[in-house]
Amino acid sequence: MNEIELFSEDELKEEIIRISKTLYERSLITALGGNISARLPGANEFWITPSQVFKGALKPEDLVKLNMEGEIIEGILKPSIEWPMHAAIYKVRLDVNAIVHAHNPTVLGLTLAGKKLKSTITDEAVILLRRIEEIEFKFPGTVYLAEAVSSAASKGGRAIVLKNHGVLGLGTNLLEAEAIVELLEAIATIEFICYALGKEPEEVPPEEIEVAKKYWGI
Amino acid sequence: MKSYCGRLLYIDLTAESIEKKEIPEDYLLNYIGGSGLAVRIIFDLVDPAIDPLSPENVLVFMTGPLTGTIMPTGARMTVAAKSPLTKGWGEAHAGGFWATELKKAGYDGIVVTGRADKPSYIYICNDEVQIGDASKLWRLDTYQSDLELRRITGEDVKCAVIGPAGENFVNVAGIFFDISLDGPRAAGRCGIGAVMGSKNLKGIAVKGSRSVEVADPQRLREYLKRILPSIMSFPTTQIYSAYGTAGEVAPLYIYGDFPIKDFSLGVWDGVKNLEGEAVAEKIVKGRRACFNCPIGCWRYVNCEVDGEKVTGRAVEYESLGALGSLLMIDDSAKVAYLHQLCNRVGVDVISTGVTIAWLIEAFEKGLIDQEMLNGLQPRWGDYKFIENMIKMIGGRDGIGDLLARGVREASKAVKGSESFAMHSKGLEIPMHDPRAFMGMGLQYATSNRGACHLYGFVLRIEQGERVTDLGIHERVQRFDIRGKGRIVAIMQDWSEVIEAMGFCKFLQVTPGHVASIYSLAVGIRTTAKDLYMKGTMIFHLKRIFNLACGITPREDTLPDRLLREPLSEGGAAGKVVELAEMLREYYEYRGWKEDGYPRKGTLSNLGLLELIKGSRFTAYKELLNKIE
Repeated sequence: MNEIELFSEDELKEEIIRISKTLYERSLITALGGNISARLPGANEFWITPSQVFKGALKPEDLVKLNMEGEIIEGILKPSIEWPMHAAIYKVRLDVNAIVHAHNPTVLGLTLAGKKLKSTITDEAVILLRRIEEIEFKFPGTVYLAEAVSSAASKGGRAIVLKNHGVLGLGTNLLEAEAIVELLEAIATIEFICYALGKEPEEVPPEEIEVAKKYWGI
Repeated sequence: MKSYCGRLLYIDLTAESIEKKEIPEDYLLNYIGGSGLAVRIIFDLVDPAIDPLSPENVLVFMTGPLTGTIMPTGARMTVAAKSPLTKGWGEAHAGGFWATELKKAGYDGIVVTGRADKPSYIYICNDEVQIGDASKLWRLDTYQSDLELRRITGEDVKCAVIGPAGENFVNVAGIFFDISLDGPRAAGRCGIGAVMGSKNLKGIAVKGSRSVEVADPQRLREYLKRILPSIMSFPTTQIYSAYGTAGEVAPLYIYGDFPIKDFSLGVWDGVKNLEGEAVAEKIVKGRRACFNCPIGCWRYVNCEVDGEKVTGRAVEYESLGALGSLLMIDDSAKVAYLHQLCNRVGVDVISTGVTIAWLIEAFEKGLIDQEMLNGLQPRWGDYKFIENMIKMIGGRDGIGDLLARGVREASKAVKGSESFAMHSKGLEIPMHDPRAFMGMGLQYATSNRGACHLYGFVLRIEQGERVTDLGIHERVQRFDIRGKGRIVAIMQDWSEVIEAMGFCKFLQVTPGHVASIYSLAVGIRTTAKDLYMKGTMIFHLKRIFNLACGITPREDTLPDRLLREPLSEGGAAGKVVELAEMLREYYEYRGWKEDGYPRKGTLSNLGLLELIKGSRFTAYKELLNKIE
């Protein structure tokens, strides 16, 4: 390990496995669903979860290291079929070093019911999510999905909803990407409760949003 | 390299010599195994100019690296030779137990050359290999041959035998494996059984006691355990498991894919009796599986037809078509009876059914000379007539002698019948009507062994499947023309990899997973892309063999019926195969010239140009001149 590196690749892999297990236990992914990747800052290669292997109990040797063309650099198992989507994001977003893709049920439920997720209903959402991109359904694993995601990601957001599919959390590190995916589910749950009670969710006071916008440059 | 035995058994029947030779490591690396390794060996040893039934032909039995391993369905093998039916590249495949037994005996394959001076069998028990006298087996049907060969060599051997058809050089004769284990697995296609017959070789009995070692058994086992549940949930895998291949009849009939009355009808009520559920209810008594197969696609049949018992493996999707709907037989028990008769006589059900369908239609159209028929009255749906024909083909009796040559040769003797002689390059068309799936038409026209449904099976893509690992991201429509050239080429090349590996296509393992499994089994890390490149190279070497045999690209075609005669009803009504445009795109994608010959640059990129230049056979030198 380079002395100035904050994280080693082994630590990245352990973190990917922890997040995968957590997402599964939180029902944000199913046994075979979702995928997670991460790279050392600035690297042209990334580690990704394997395809069709139970996501609740991954092992470090299950993970696969790919370059941006999808060529396997390390590992033996088949990488997630969504690798083109991950590579496409890394190519357009140098600030992103980790991507968590989950199948958040409440987010999808609200989206498919025609409700737009709002990043302005909690202070945490205002700061962390900033804005939420949404893209139409594209078949998983295809270049068409990768292109649509790349286009959405290049707008600078960190939360993307894939209609009829799931969500993407983009972070400078794995914890941030994980937090975005969890936060999306949290605000979707809050909105759902409001709608269930017959109310529109109230937003954070406009002046606070204004401060945040100025402060964060949203 | 683990998971291989690393050696082949070379048996020269003329010299009665037996040699065990190491396989060069680069052969294993580049050609993987199965039909890949077989084509390289045939390229090395067989002069393309020879008569396929001469002693100079070479009969290769080849397993793959995953045969006999823990890999589910790892039971497959290839038998290859120059085909007497197509006069070019010939190969047939079978599952069962024989291939595993051969690896357990310590051999990846057997290369049989020459011709024995009397009927013979080969007995293999680990390092002990003998050539024995099979005079007592000659003229016996395959079931009796299997029984007798086991009586001579031991009850616990696994047998491969030919029937009377193979002995009589019937061009549609196959090789039949594991008959004692509830019915045969047939390597039926391309007349490979006639090549075995031409060598005076009646059977091969194998017994092995070793285990096949893989590089990382613990990790491979763990990986397979983890991915198997999702692989087994694939819809077609579940259909095969629940109803056998007969389960495909109903869904494919809706598309207009299941051929009826020599590919002339699109709708027929009789199909309902041939569908998976109806067949299961009427004649199926159990489910059986090949070595280490969790799918268990084949069905144990027990029924009676006019006092004749039918037991064992005797009904499949292909026989329900070729001996059922194609001939207007709507009784699954009768199909099973005819299927078993084909097995006993030793002929391929597809080629036999297609050839008999041609005869009935030619008779109906008044094209057949009554003298040729000697009083026979060919009729659709008449199973007694078909029974008679199968026996006559096996014995080359009367009109059976003409039919035994296969539908292409037979139709040449009957003026006006070639337009409905259903073959490509001489190999009879399987039970998927390409007017329902355009890509299948291109696949049939360009497959190296002739009309082959196994190499590509692109109808799956045309049904909506995507193979993102191979760059097939788009959803294509079955009647579309554009884009099919690329898809067919990709799927053909990937199929070469699967056939080389030694496991079954019915297990829907994605290319990425295949690469992982191969890496853990063989101990050499590889990727789907690397394997795919090898598949492309193997495909081209077979094409080169065909061209050197004199099979020109003009034979990349289909019968007129499929190109010019649309069906009036059913799921493919009004459609014909628009081959010319697909073929243009296909040649271009493959890096071939417009006339269908590969460009030198393409061969060079695949590492084949130097190989061809180095061949000792004149046919390749002449071919290179043409490619210039």
